[in-house]
Amino acid sequence: MREDRVLDLRGIAKSFGSARILEGVELTVGRGERHAIIGPNGAGKSTLFNLISGQFSPTSGSILLNGREIAGRPPHQINRMGLSRSFQITNIYHRLSVFENLRLGVMARHGLRFSLFRRVAALRAVNEESEALLQRIRLEDRRDRPAGDLTYSEQRALEIGMTLATAPEVILLDEPTAGMSQEETHYVIELIREVTKGKTLLVVEHDMNVVFSLCDRISVLVYGELLATGTPEEIRANRAVQEAYLGEEVA
Amino acid sequence: MLEFIIISTLNGVTYGLLLFMVSAGLTLIFGMMGVLNFAHASFYMLGAYIAYSITRTIDFWIGLLVAPLLVGLLGMLVERYLLRRVHRYGHAHELLLTFGLAFIFEELIKLFYGDFPVNYSMPAYLRFPAFSLFGADYPFYRLFIGLVAIGMFVLLYILLSRTRVGLVVRAAERLPSMAEALGHNVPLVFMGVFGVGAALAGLGGAVAGAFFPTNPNMALELGVIVFVVVVVGGLGSIEGSLVASLMIGVFSSFAVGLNWSLARLLDLVGLGDWARELGGLMTLTLSSISGTVPFLLMLIVLLVRPAGLFGERN
Amino acid sequence: MARVWQLLLFVLIMAVLIGLPPLLGAGLQNAMTNMLIAALFAMAFNLLMGQGGMLSFGHAAFYGVGAFAVMHLMTAIDRGGLSFPTPLLPLAGAAAGLLVGLVTGWFATLRSGVYFALVTLALAEMLHSLAPHWEGLFGGEAGISSMRMPWGGFIFGQVIEIYYLTLIWVTLSIGLLYAYTRTPFGRLTLALRDNEERVRFMGYDAHATKMIVFAVSATFAGIAGGLLAVSNEQANYELFGTHVSAQVVLHTFVGGSTVFFGPAIGAAIFTLFAYLVSDVSRSWLLYQGVIFVLVMLYAPLGIGGVVMLHLRHWASIPWQRMVGPYAGATAATLLMAIGTVMVVEFLEALFSPHYVAQRRQAETSWPAFERFGASWEPFGILTWGPPLLLLIVGLLILLRLRHRIVALWDEVQETAETAARSGV
Repeated sequence: MREDRVLDLRGIAKSFGSARILEGVELTVGRGERHAIIGPNGAGKSTLFNLISGQFSPTSGSILLNGREIAGRPPHQINRMGLSRSFQITNIYHRLSVFENLRLGVMARHGLRFSLFRRVAALRAVNEESEALLQRIRLEDRRDRPAGDLTYSEQRALEIGMTLATAPEVILLDEPTAGMSQEETHYVIELIREVTKGKTLLVVEHDMNVVFSLCDRISVLVYGELLATGTPEEIRANRAVQEAYLGEEVA
Repeated sequence: MLEFIIISTLNGVTYGLLLFMVSAGLTLIFGMMGVLNFAHASFYMLGAYIAYSITRTIDFWIGLLVAPLLVGLLGMLVERYLLRRVHRYGHAHELLLTFGLAFIFEELIKLFYGDFPVNYSMPAYLRFPAFSLFGADYPFYRLFIGLVAIGMFVLLYILLSRTRVGLVVRAAERLPSMAEALGHNVPLVFMGVFGVGAALAGLGGAVAGAFFPTNPNMALELGVIVFVVVVVGGLGSIEGSLVASLMIGVFSSFAVGLNWSLARLLDLVGLGDWARELGGLMTLTLSSISGTVPFLLMLIVLLVRPAGLFGERN
Repeated sequence: MARVWQLLLFVLIMAVLIGLPPLLGAGLQNAMTNMLIAALFAMAFNLLMGQGGMLSFGHAAFYGVGAFAVMHLMTAIDRGGLSFPTPLLPLAGAAAGLLVGLVTGWFATLRSGVYFALVTLALAEMLHSLAPHWEGLFGGEAGISSMRMPWGGFIFGQVIEIYYLTLIWVTLSIGLLYAYTRTPFGRLTLALRDNEERVRFMGYDAHATKMIVFAVSATFAGIAGGLLAVSNEQANYELFGTHVSAQVVLHTFVGGSTVFFGPAIGAAIFTLFAYLVSDVSRSWLLYQGVIFVLVMLYAPLGIGGVVMLHLRHWASIPWQRMVGPYAGATAATLLMAIGTVMVVEFLEALFSPHYVAQRRQAETSWPAFERFGASWEPFGILTWGPPLLLLIVGLLILLRLRHRIVALWDEVQETAETAARSGV
């Protein structure tokens, strides 16, 4: 049903000079869906995220967010339209406190972009919302530490928190569990499950266990082309996907 | 008119070649190490002053030979013991350090030589006219400056493109970590490049200082123009700085002698007097803004195409 | 630093700034006026640099524009009969700084890093080369001069009056700059410095934000320039020169760009130092340059940064063991400083035109020269021995103590880290 499509990619292609990274990608994500993008390294997954979030414009094709074209728009506009992304390499404000990192996102959501005449300490709603978010990502006891001082997985949790701070409808997570131990992965997945309730989620992941346990639908990207899209069972059973990517063990 | 054009072109080309001698090193250093060396024009000045001292005590030609070598040595020491120490704090920090060094060099020159120009000039037997044009003599030494610059460019080109050393230097510029992994001593290459760049600027100073005024302000005066050249030509590109140097050299030479202004242009449509009454921008002549135009050009290049004419789009 | 101490320090500094000048001579009062102006200029510069992460090499542009705007207003009052309160003259500087800052900021912030720095350099140099030829706007090579008019019962003829006027303006301005850091936009400025990309992805228009930061910085630089014009009653194209842009960079980094008051500290030290030393030695610019380079090499956080570091770790520093090495290092630095000054001053004397003339007149080819109220033989061991000895001894002591101090600080770091890990 058209109205339930939150994200709609049509005929997306991206080349950098003569290098063709993506070709003919068609993808739809429904409201409230948890959608994973998997594929071997260099398949173009991060590029796809960069296109959707506004880092680059597609060479051709269109990207619709709730029916509105976002291809080619600058990142800040796309964010204001309700889409937010996390980064594979942690992208935080390392010299500011954890609380402040989150608050900056909350401020943006409240439209406080050029606010020169108020005291930030006096913004009750903003500060309360930031505290609540801090609790949700379970970093309360790191509140006033410089973000750069946190451990790796704490920083990843902060990364997710910052993505959520602008209260987006659509959340893009780029390899949220990269470099984590099993325990840490489990922790982060539970966190993601909790904080993205009711939202639409698009995840790039390598860890198959994460993908199969977290997501409703999976798209497989290989050499810049979308090989298959479907439920975890459909993907597991897909011959082409097995050959190209999954290997016999999982099948 | 023809006289003006020919003389201005000759002057412009030789001045441009001088700019090239100084900017080649700067652009090489930036392209390779990412450091915009604010002290580069200081090397030019030091070359002039050292050549002056050697000329006074020993010989002019020895000065031309030894001054660049000494400046090159100084450059290597600066890179090895100063620049390398602040490398970990980032490019901005390295830039600031070279900035401070430029300051110190200028003050040291004032300390040893005084805060006024010194009489550094070429030996008498070089003071002959190359040819006579329209009744006036054109000094040979101006052409000599140009010849030295051309010789230097040819040498540099051969060195970089035909020799093994040149190959290593070019590799280290592209992918320093890879070059190091292949066993090349990249820090040594950096030190060498910095030294050679400094030596080239020093040579420029040694040669030009005998013709143009040698004073403690020469680093600052030339320094900003050299930045313009390097930006317009493209940071990291030697061909670019050659082309940009010639462009700016020729433009400056022509502009200095032209009294064009917007008011004069408006004369053509009869609005000249109105423009002259307005004053300000309208009556500014090309000769008076000849110093401003290079910066305007630099600004335009930075805003429209920061890679410059020949630089690589990063 | 605890609130109480902060307040106490503030009161103390204000007391000195308010109470001391009437006891000083006009020369020192003027020097203190210049010190305040330099401090404001450096603080304005650091808004862009330390907080916004944008290094500008052409801040003299806004300083100069502010000065010229005030000169024009002064001329309008003085000769044109305009009625305008003299104490409010620097407002013209603010307005000019803001306007020029907005326009140039729009262009400049299109680029970042070294390209941004070069854009600012180009803009300042354009003004620097254009101004001497533009009679109308910049008074050509001579510049513009005027006179302060009396207002509200004050004549504004004495240096001390100008000092207090400057003090009021600088205190207010720095107060506003401090308030800025407490606004949402002020926090956004810091985020911009740390991670411009993330700022974009949080829904902020990074370019517009940078432009506003630039404009605010330019506004306060314009106020500083305006205050200079009020004090000097003249302005000329030299205000756009690289030396002016260079000084503010030196002040800021010696004082420390990561600390709010760092630039003011650097400006205060250097301007006072320049005033006190310039009568005694011609080499004070050289000393400035050397201090700057030494700070860049060995104390990259600047004086303010080093102070902040100590304050932050006050509790974990093993003071009993630290005092000895610190005292020794200070003494050693002093020895090296004296040695360096002696060498520089001797060289300056030997290469001065005065000495050259002395040589021509004397019987021996290398007569004794005068310095520090004594006579020195140019090739005597008693001349060069002492300073070289001081330098060597100082250096040796420093090298030895260095390991000790570094080891002690490693301990401090570890204590801090364990505290962090245990969630303290």
